[in-house]
Amino acid sequence: MAAKDSPLKQFEIDPISNIELGGYNISFTNSSFAMLITVLVITLFLTLTVNTRSIIPSRMQLISELMYNFIAQLLSDTVGDNGKRYFPFVFSLFMFVLIGNMVGMIPYQFTFTSHIIVTFALAAVVFIGVTILGFVNHGIKFFTFFYIPGVPFYMHPLLIPIEVISYLSRPISLSVRLFANMLAGHTLLKVFAGFVVSMPFFTGVFPLAFIVALTGLEILIAFLQAYVFAILTCLYINDAYHLH
Amino acid sequence: MPQLNPEFFVSQLFWLAVFFTFLFVFLWRVSLPRIATVLEKRQNKIDENLSSAKELQEQAMEIEKKINDQINKAKLETDEKIKETINALQEDVSSQLSSLDKDLEKKVSDAEKEILKSKDDQMKNIDNEIANITKLTVGKITDIELSDNEINKVIETHKGSFN
Repeated sequence: MAAKDSPLKQFEIDPISNIELGGYNISFTNSSFAMLITVLVITLFLTLTVNTRSIIPSRMQLISELMYNFIAQLLSDTVGDNGKRYFPFVFSLFMFVLIGNMVGMIPYQFTFTSHIIVTFALAAVVFIGVTILGFVNHGIKFFTFFYIPGVPFYMHPLLIPIEVISYLSRPISLSVRLFANMLAGHTLLKVFAGFVVSMPFFTGVFPLAFIVALTGLEILIAFLQAYVFAILTCLYINDAYHLH
Repeated sequence: MPQLNPEFFVSQLFWLAVFFTFLFVFLWRVSLPRIATVLEKRQNKIDENLSSAKELQEQAMEIEKKINDQINKAKLETDEKIKETINALQEDVSSQLSSLDKDLEKKVSDAEKEILKSKDDQMKNIDNEIANITKLTVGKITDIELSDNEINKVIETHKGSFN
């Protein structure tokens, strides 16, 4: 398969303008552009739709309020009252991933959430933040998080390493989940798009129909992954407050 | 796989940090407070309306209670009045009845007296008439002129037989 036809070609990063800072390449790329679009869409939408501050909301304002309440509800369900402080962060994270995924669904548009480095950075921020939060809340006692009460004592040598590993793998599972979902979905779409072109005349309709259906599924996954990312962040925050 | 090419890692991280930080600060400081204000304003309005509705309901209940009280009071008063009127009427009727009774009794006794008196009168007249008739009859039949005293004596002796 020629490189230009590869289904992975869509994930290639093209610099739009080359910038260098302190010897590092920080070029503004198609990935950065997608992030810019995402941030603009979120900020403009959430600002303009609530501009009138109507008591009886317009439809657009209602969408903003629904998103607000959705995350507020999620946070209060999982973390409780402590969660209110982290609402702006969780909301930003959810919106950034959600709109990033949605922007990626636009044909020919780059999907920055399909890059492991981006999702890993987001997951690392969550992981480091939650770990610091855990130590701030519980001090050295936070290590008892790895100790599961009510288990026979001879199981602890086995369970504590498992708990530690599972804790440390949180950022990896969090980032790889999002990255792999986006990667797989977009690759699959591209593969079937290739079939549309390469199949003889009218039979190309079948992969095309499949792409249409798959696009619907991908939009669902785009939402679902953003939701999963947000809810796991909430659960981690909750863990930093409530040890076992 | 382009994802594993470290060439643009720093660039990606840099722009991610820039855009995500901007997004976070903007949402935190501008967008979310706006939405929160709207939601709070709406909640306040709803609470206000609810509390004023409750207040109005309480007022309505109070008024209803007052109305009921007044209706009860009016009912009691009316009952009292009706009872009073009935009593007054009954007294009136009974007093009138008794005065009528008295009148009637008086009239009856008067009439009885009258009758007795006229009976007596008639009785006296009857004596005279009898005397006259007897005088005439005896005179006609026997040509004996009876004196009034003789006749009266006879009548007196027989009076008990036709009384």
